[in-house]
Amino acid sequence: MSSDPTTVTGTESNVSDEDGESLIRVPEPEVRATTVTDESTDEQHAVFDLQNLSVYYGPFRAVRNVDMVVRRHEITAFIGPSGCGKTTVLRCLNRMNDLVPSARVEGKILHHGVDLYDPAVDAVEVRRRIGMVFQKPNPFPKSIYDNIAFGPRIGGAPKSDMDDIVEKSLRQAALWDEVKDRLDASAMGLSGGQQQRLCIARAVAVEPEVVLMDEPCSALDPIATSRIEDLMQEIKDQYTIVIVTHNMQQAARVSDRTAFFITEVSEAAQGQGGDQRTGLLVEYDTTETIFSNPADERTENYITGRFG
Amino acid sequence: MADRPSGEAADNADGTPARATYQAELEQLRLQVELMGVRVDQNLERMRSVLHHGDVGEAGLAIEADDEIDAMQVSLTERCYDLLAREQPVASDLRLIVSVVRITAELERIGDLALRVAKLAPDQGLLTRSREVFDLLAALADLALEHYRLALRAFAGQSTELAEEVSAGSPEVSLLTDRLVGEVHRLQGEDAVSVAMKAMTAGQALSRIDDHATILGARLRYLFTGDPDHLAAEVR
Repeated sequence: MSSDPTTVTGTESNVSDEDGESLIRVPEPEVRATTVTDESTDEQHAVFDLQNLSVYYGPFRAVRNVDMVVRRHEITAFIGPSGCGKTTVLRCLNRMNDLVPSARVEGKILHHGVDLYDPAVDAVEVRRRIGMVFQKPNPFPKSIYDNIAFGPRIGGAPKSDMDDIVEKSLRQAALWDEVKDRLDASAMGLSGGQQQRLCIARAVAVEPEVVLMDEPCSALDPIATSRIEDLMQEIKDQYTIVIVTHNMQQAARVSDRTAFFITEVSEAAQGQGGDQRTGLLVEYDTTETIFSNPADERTENYITGRFG
Repeated sequence: MADRPSGEAADNADGTPARATYQAELEQLRLQVELMGVRVDQNLERMRSVLHHGDVGEAGLAIEADDEIDAMQVSLTERCYDLLAREQPVASDLRLIVSVVRITAELERIGDLALRVAKLAPDQGLLTRSREVFDLLAALADLALEHYRLALRAFAGQSTELAEEVSAGSPEVSLLTDRLVGEVHRLQGEDAVSVAMKAMTAGQALSRIDDHATILGARLRYLFTGDPDHLAAEVR
């Protein structure tokens, strides 16, 4: 089996972090082949293995039958037209959809082989290990310092370590040089691009394994967007990143793999006056393949702008 | 229950395809390349006629037409650069645009080579001095023109099969070129050197036209399939 320290180990099938600390105790996970085409084995590198994933909001099926593997230390981009379920799938990866009362998940999301939706799994711990950066920068109305220190404090980090954590996180987010002399200033006074990098710093301050980004640059100007994209490349050695983006050039520039979703419309529902739309994963491959020679005509039509 | 993927539907509210103007520009680009290909074809035909008849007036027409071919190449290249900058194309659209840059360069080169032969019009008498040499040149011109036309048909018909055939090259052209060299070596008499020089100029130009047609075939295979192996074939 793999020597990867984050893979499932031992008879109790714990998920262990790099220090071997047990985080989640769950039943023995099953391992199965996946659909991603690559030379190396998915078992070694899979952070998430989505198996026949469908997501419902009440009776409405938002996304159906998604199968894909998200790999370690890669940037995976989700692209597709509005309403195709990209964000829905993204939010499933750290159980943010648990916060929506009517949301329901079918199928499996294995995180290092462990079913994320197993009742034994602690959703709060999942969200600590799998951080999220939102479309609109959402700094707390506190100082820059306190924004970063917030998560580690809740996580029990010693006060004596806090200065180091704040500096390290701000450096990782390429923001340290710009704010080091005004850490006590309000985060609300930062520019939009700086606020978004602050949010990334806040996400990485709790040392997550994965950072999910939901259109992180959609509210930013091109320069700020470029800095976030550079930042993603710089931190991908330490984190696995999944990004939802409407900017296909951004997906092409920053990601290693790209998943293309579409919305399918139920004609039966239309005939009854309804408008049942369900997201569907059409193609998932290396970004180079998706943007140079996609296998599915629908992908080609979308990325070349013939629809969308 | 039949489900309709939204990707198959026209997206705009008025039912027109998304990015209709851009799609029309790509279609125009294809047609303009085809038109440039036809202009080159006309000059190749003039070249063949000059080879047979030595008509200096026809050679002059070829020279004028070549200026137009050159202008088309510049114009189409600029249009490609504009589309690249403005539309940020990907996948088959990107392949089309970068391939047009390459294809028009090949067409321009083929036009120049045709002109090299056409400009021999005043010396056509030298080319006919040896029956064997002239027959070989005429056969080379026929084969090169046939090969080129196959490439043009492959582009116009977007045919992978034809492109494959074109990219395979013409072994017969290599054989004829070798035979031409042999015949030139056997030339005798007062004009032998002059005949040899003109014959080799024409022969090499015709052989290169055939080579460029082969390159077009490889480029078209890449354009139609997206397989980068065909790019390697292009530079072999």
